[in-house]
Amino acid sequence: MLHWLNDRTGCCDAWRRRADAPLPGGAGWWKTLPAAVLFVFCVQAITGFFLWTYYSPGAQSAWESVYYLQSEVAGGWLLRAAHHYAGQTLPVLVGLYLIKQVFSGTYRRTYEAVFWITLLMALCTLGLLLTGDLLAWSQNSYAATQVRVKFLTLLPGVGEGLYRIAVGGPAFGNLTLTRFLALHVGLLSGGMALLLILHGVFLRRADHNLLPSPFGRGAGGEGKGTKAPEPALTLTLSQRERGLSTFWPDQAWRNALVWLGILAVILLLALMHGTEGPDRGIKLGSPADLDPAHYYAAARPEWIFRGLYQFAQYFPGLWTVIPIFVIPGVLLAVFLLMPWFGKNVVGHFFNLLLTAFLVSAVAVLSYLSYMHDAQDPAYSAALKEEDNLAERVIQLARAKGIPPTGALTLLRNDPLTQGRRVFQQHCAACHTGAGVPAVDATAPNLTGFASRPWLAGLLDPQKIRSADYFGYKDSPFKGGRMVGHVMELLSDLDDDEKEDLKKLIMALSAEARLPAQRNIDARDAKDIEAGRKLIAEGEFGCTDCHRFHGKGQRVGPELTGYGSTEWITAITGNPASKRFYGARNDRMPAYAETDDETKNLLRNHDLEMTAEWLRGEWFRPKK
Amino acid sequence: MTPPTDSRRGFLGRAIALLAGGTALLAPAVWGSIAFLNPLRLKGRSGGFRRLASLDQLPEDGTPLRLTILDERTDAWTRYPIDAVGAVFVRRTGKDRVEALQVTCPHLGCSIVYQAAPGGGAFLCPCHQAHFDLNGKRIDLPSQSPRDMDALEVEIRNRNEVWVKYQTFASGTAKKIATS
Repeated sequence: MLHWLNDRTGCCDAWRRRADAPLPGGAGWWKTLPAAVLFVFCVQAITGFFLWTYYSPGAQSAWESVYYLQSEVAGGWLLRAAHHYAGQTLPVLVGLYLIKQVFSGTYRRTYEAVFWITLLMALCTLGLLLTGDLLAWSQNSYAATQVRVKFLTLLPGVGEGLYRIAVGGPAFGNLTLTRFLALHVGLLSGGMALLLILHGVFLRRADHNLLPSPFGRGAGGEGKGTKAPEPALTLTLSQRERGLSTFWPDQAWRNALVWLGILAVILLLALMHGTEGPDRGIKLGSPADLDPAHYYAAARPEWIFRGLYQFAQYFPGLWTVIPIFVIPGVLLAVFLLMPWFGKNVVGHFFNLLLTAFLVSAVAVLSYLSYMHDAQDPAYSAALKEEDNLAERVIQLARAKGIPPTGALTLLRNDPLTQGRRVFQQHCAACHTGAGVPAVDATAPNLTGFASRPWLAGLLDPQKIRSADYFGYKDSPFKGGRMVGHVMELLSDLDDDEKEDLKKLIMALSAEARLPAQRNIDARDAKDIEAGRKLIAEGEFGCTDCHRFHGKGQRVGPELTGYGSTEWITAITGNPASKRFYGARNDRMPAYAETDDETKNLLRNHDLEMTAEWLRGEWFRPKK
Repeated sequence: MTPPTDSRRGFLGRAIALLAGGTALLAPAVWGSIAFLNPLRLKGRSGGFRRLASLDQLPEDGTPLRLTILDERTDAWTRYPIDAVGAVFVRRTGKDRVEALQVTCPHLGCSIVYQAAPGGGAFLCPCHQAHFDLNGKRIDLPSQSPRDMDALEVEIRNRNEVWVKYQTFASGTAKKIATS
């Protein structure tokens, strides 16, 4: 059977030749490096294929498909982590292999072609990392890749065009993902496979050229004009006894052990964060958000590019083209010419020096870059914010499922995320609110707005003139009618009046229907009913100035639905409307002045989110 | 005289093999490349002037407001009826004078942030630490940014309406080249 197969395919003969080919210089641990590269590539091909069976490139589906794999598929997180960490070891192994070739002198004849192929493998590996990073379509992968691809625009004349070709249009989106996926799993992976095959062929040939007769063409045989003798197909026992080691098993067992070692390292890294919880494997991050207002400020390239990232910082403006394109280009050319330089001792020494210098330079620069970030509070803050965002989106996705418009919709419709963001960007210049401090407090503190304690403070003669209410910086209301009314009417209350005021506060606060007060509002229904009457017709005189359920004057803001989402959305939309402050509005901008959302400062949806955030109305996972 | 004929036939055969084979292989590569280069034909959507705010909504002390540009956005086959397509910093420089700056950094397209500080803030690009003053001029020279922040055309219409011509510009060039 085997005989028949060999007759038709020659497979056994080929294996024999491979297995029994003697190795020049014998077997050794350094010689496991190319096999290690091959192994990691195989790991990547295998894990990558299975990842691919779950992956869906697209702005609304890339992150979502990875999330699904990571959280719903048995072992999916491990698959992804293994692919990630194996991908990180690939440049290390290819780099080590290159360094080994330079330092052992085996980049020179007869190994020139092997050396060149290794250089191309290094380039291919970097390309695989660069394209693979984007595919998760998380905030970091999007922002970091965005900058790296934008480097193309530094090339004069052709830059903008190259950028568009790479990205698939004027900006990142669906087509960037389809392109990067095709490059990653097609062109670059295929290229890497081809390079590995060529590497094997060229290495065999280089070994063969170096081996003394009768195994090869004689040491250092350039083979000019002379016909190569037939390679020895098998070694006789006596030849093996003469100390010539062969691939099988002398090198093969070393290779296999190294493979196991690498696998152990990959698994250890993948299991570093445990097997449970959202941190297991590698973090996914939050989905890529193309809104420039949500730009991820802590975007950094992967560690392998960190040295280059730091180096580029030393070249201002357009000079960035030098560290990014000119110097790497020149270095690549020098490396390609190394076998030629290395023909004499001085050249070989130069090659050694250059390689050693490059390795240490990259190490030092990477270290500097990480040090810089570690000391940058803005960077840590951005990292933390991104962590929170990632945790929140996963919480929402788990509880609600991902809508067809993608996971980003979950965050856009989440008051805790979107409302807080809008508040930070548009309100926190003047207002403090629920843990977000005002930059320069020139408006009332909105923490707990419309809750019973907040209203009790507002209607307290001791507090209404404080900075938290109407006593803020440059307030025109400090000496206004409301303050005067509270100071005058509510200063010396007897016990009955105090009780009435309490009921009034309960009733006004109940207008907001705050989620945190749902229980006490239900419990105090009777008092609230009494309080409503006090507001509408009581001796406190609310309706002298305020409208309340169809009664009262329109001087101050309407009290019907006070603090409800609708009320807050309306007052932030236009505080100077008749329903609220009218012409007496202080500096509060109208965020939705017109009916056309594109002409307003904010979308109605964002105002609603902010209102709900202020009200503490957002999804909380059940413990 | 057979030898010349043979060599001619040999030459012809080789030429045909190379030309025909090459053409056959090249054709699909050319079709593919034409499709692949299609993004070169796509243009960013040109906005024209749009109303961004009322004059009295802008802080009188000249603090910049960061406003999102909402518009229809098309990403290949997906159309978003209304989405954030960009953002601008708008600030008052006088009683009825307004300046608008593109938030996209001219260096490599990151988003610039405003950093408030007592006594006047500044703009910063978090990616490569380019600093700009409130007018968008580079400070801390030499800067990572090849040019100052991109100013956008502003018009005050009907006394109180701030209209801005929203445009994007090529990054990585010293010259300000509009890309939409």
